[in-house]
Amino acid sequence: MNQDIHIPALARVEGEGALTIRLKDGAINEILLNIYEPPRFFEGFLHGRYFQDVPDITARICGICPVAYQMSSVQALEAALQVTISPEVRLLRQLLYCAEYIESHALHIYLLQAPDLVNHESALTLAVEAPDLVKQGLRLKKIGNDLLKAIGGRSVHPVNTCVGGFYRWPAEQAIHGLVPELEWARQASIETVRWAATLNYPDFEQEYEFVALNRIEEYAIYDGDILSSKGKRISPQEFEKNYIETHVERSNALHSHTVDDRTYFVGPLARFNLNYKKLRPMAKEAAREIGLKAPILNPYKGLLARAVELVHTCDLAIELANLYQPHGPSHVEFSVQPGEGCGVSEAPRGLLYHRYVVDEQGLIRFAKITPPTAQNFAQMEADLWALAPTAVKQPQEEASLSFEHLLRSYDPCISCSTHFLKLKIETG
Amino acid sequence: MNRFLDDARTESSGTIKIIGIGQSLRGDDAAGLAAVRLWQEKYQANIDRPNLIVELVELPGVGLLGMLEGTRTVILVDAVHNNTKAGMVHLFSDDQLDAFTEGAGSAHGWGVAETLSLGRALMPSAMPEEIFLIGIEAGDLTLGESLSPEVESALPEAANLIEQVVTRG
Repeated sequence: MNQDIHIPALARVEGEGALTIRLKDGAINEILLNIYEPPRFFEGFLHGRYFQDVPDITARICGICPVAYQMSSVQALEAALQVTISPEVRLLRQLLYCAEYIESHALHIYLLQAPDLVNHESALTLAVEAPDLVKQGLRLKKIGNDLLKAIGGRSVHPVNTCVGGFYRWPAEQAIHGLVPELEWARQASIETVRWAATLNYPDFEQEYEFVALNRIEEYAIYDGDILSSKGKRISPQEFEKNYIETHVERSNALHSHTVDDRTYFVGPLARFNLNYKKLRPMAKEAAREIGLKAPILNPYKGLLARAVELVHTCDLAIELANLYQPHGPSHVEFSVQPGEGCGVSEAPRGLLYHRYVVDEQGLIRFAKITPPTAQNFAQMEADLWALAPTAVKQPQEEASLSFEHLLRSYDPCISCSTHFLKLKIETG
Repeated sequence: MNRFLDDARTESSGTIKIIGIGQSLRGDDAAGLAAVRLWQEKYQANIDRPNLIVELVELPGVGLLGMLEGTRTVILVDAVHNNTKAGMVHLFSDDQLDAFTEGAGSAHGWGVAETLSLGRALMPSAMPEEIFLIGIEAGDLTLGESLSPEVESALPEAANLIEQVVTRG
């Protein structure tokens, strides 16, 4: 390869992004990953809105992970307004989060990353050659969306979550009725792990600092402390002091670093590596069967961690759905008071942090949203630099695909607001 | 029933379904939603059409497949990028969409063309007999709730086109 690579719109990532790699005298001179990041827009858009509108507005940041935006925002607002939710609400929110993991992981595994690993241009060509495989992925995704709809009222942007709980309890039968499909999904997830183990992952390992939520008693998704693989454990309130965002001129996205200026990695690999022991026995067994052990240091193998998490969340969803028995109020009553609070949860793509300031009328005076992809941004660039020396020895097209595949393995949600997924390589 | 398909069925299986697609916080990306709403106001309000279903969806992705399933005629209304002037209204039939994957296309990740191709590959017998796409050329896609003047002024034409397809002989 002797020409620059410019990928103006990355295919098969959720949203928009562009990548340019410039060569000088045959060596890498510059790597520019540009991401169009709408959470910044939403921070301004939320200003002056009533606090109870925030969960539904932030849910619209992403068509794939709306629940994550709702869960981090309601927890931040409940902290700001000093609202304590009931244990039943917490369980139902965990079930809602399982729904999102199932639909999001199924989409990424089967439709977004798998084509790279089986040398297909896209899920479309894969669907022609292996229709049953793609059907399995779509059916898994549908089960996640059905559960999301049963709890959240809609299959894409759920609307039932509110500060204090849920607007109403979902019908008991609607939740229990999904158990047979969830049991199918759990079995399909175990098969997904076995199938994923047969794929050929590029040989690429790096030293990473992983950061994920952690709870003593469970595999943390809904809430928890923030744990780093370097051993540091902090509360959500300490997040901004320890993980710093800086503006980078070439991008409208902010880049995150640890307070001592290291890149870090959030997402399924971080969760798996830090919380492996807390996976449900069935998920742990699926990992053991394929010889998958923490730590995984190959970003492409995030797919394996996602597959194991599919087993975990299907199994947890079955337990929570069977336990579901609505009683008492679906949300707590409270009076509005000024305050500030933060909330953090594990979106399928990684740790998602929100902080809000609310005034005495319940209006938002400040909003901060730190999405997982922004936190991984600096790490993605570091990985591109590490991959570049070998990648650029390949022909142009293969080199370009190598870079794209690496980025797709991160499952970046780089805007979730569309668009125009055209791939174009500029020469010269 | 194709159990792998996304999204729940609507209450009745109408013979014609109009699906407005868009992202309402992304400028002209919401053109499809706005055009279908205008059609509802202008043409649908006083007419009882039991065999017609209207859906407005943001970012359905592959979930669009579930909405197509079991419907005879589908009219998709969406913002498009076809390298023409902002506000241009296009009418494409299903077979014309085959060429609609690169260089032009629906604005939504899993674009209309890709989703239809996936449907044809996986569930050919469950796909609608005919699919029309009414595409409105988007101009301004910056974040925000308003449409550009060019797209705003194209909405009556798009609404009229929806009505023509609905009432054609």
